[in-house]
Amino acid sequence: MTAFRQAGLILLIAVGLAGVTAAVHPKRPAFRAPPTDPNEVNLAQVQHWARTVLWVDARPDAEFASGHIPEAVSLNFENWPEQFPKFLDQYSPDRRVVVYCSATSCQLSREIAEKLRTSGITNAYFLEGGWEAWKHAQP
Amino acid sequence: MSTVNRTVAARPVVRISRYALRFLMAALFLFAAVAKLLDPAAFAQQIANYQLTPWPVTAGLAVLLPALELCVGICLLLGRWESGALVWTAILLTIFSGALVAAIARGLSIDCGCFGRSVENTGTIWPLIRNLTLLVVTGFLWFSRDRQ
Repeated sequence: MTAFRQAGLILLIAVGLAGVTAAVHPKRPAFRAPPTDPNEVNLAQVQHWARTVLWVDARPDAEFASGHIPEAVSLNFENWPEQFPKFLDQYSPDRRVVVYCSATSCQLSREIAEKLRTSGITNAYFLEGGWEAWKHAQP
Repeated sequence: MSTVNRTVAARPVVRISRYALRFLMAALFLFAAVAKLLDPAAFAQQIANYQLTPWPVTAGLAVLLPALELCVGICLLLGRWESGALVWTAILLTIFSGALVAAIARGLSIDCGCFGRSVENTGTIWPLIRNLTLLVVTGFLWFSRDRQ
């Protein structure tokens, strides 16, 4: 049997397996739209929290350097080992952590907030619309 | 050409290296597949972080890619349909590397997602280097395979 015929059969079997996964797996992804996350917050919600909020900027360092929400702490996957201790210096359990990235299309804030929650920071949320939404809301 | 390949594949050093590298590739693909199949929804989110595909495609890839990796891993482990498995190995590693290059080029600070949630904070540079190395290994396995 030729390599490409074998590859075709492997693809057929994989498509079958994928179909089974999509149909019965308890953690299958939602196909119509990304799932809404209870940890997503919008600016109006965050404004109610006022000064208890600790902003976390999940964008790359260069973007953070070119502009960020005042008093935000930079925390991204690339520099997690160096930046996480600095974040902990600013954090206290009575503060709510709100992570943001560049815009709605960016998923990084969701990832960082989830990483924080698994690290024991249970009150970590991420901002809908990110940095773009915050900038547009400024007078 | 096939005579040359048979001669090369018959050398003991080549045969032993082939077995070791084939099992290594099989183990990597099986680990990657199982890690992703544990939580396909989380893997879909990791694919979405690359910002390359619309959501329905992303969700489809989140179930198809682990299934392909599982099939490839089993074929390499058993030594069955090895040529076909190596074709998919090359295709998958090329796609994954392309996605990583796209993420690096756009300055995205994301987790690779190569092994689902099992291995985190890997960034993008090291996974790209690993993938390119595995592509070289795939080339070795392809050209040294027994075509009899």
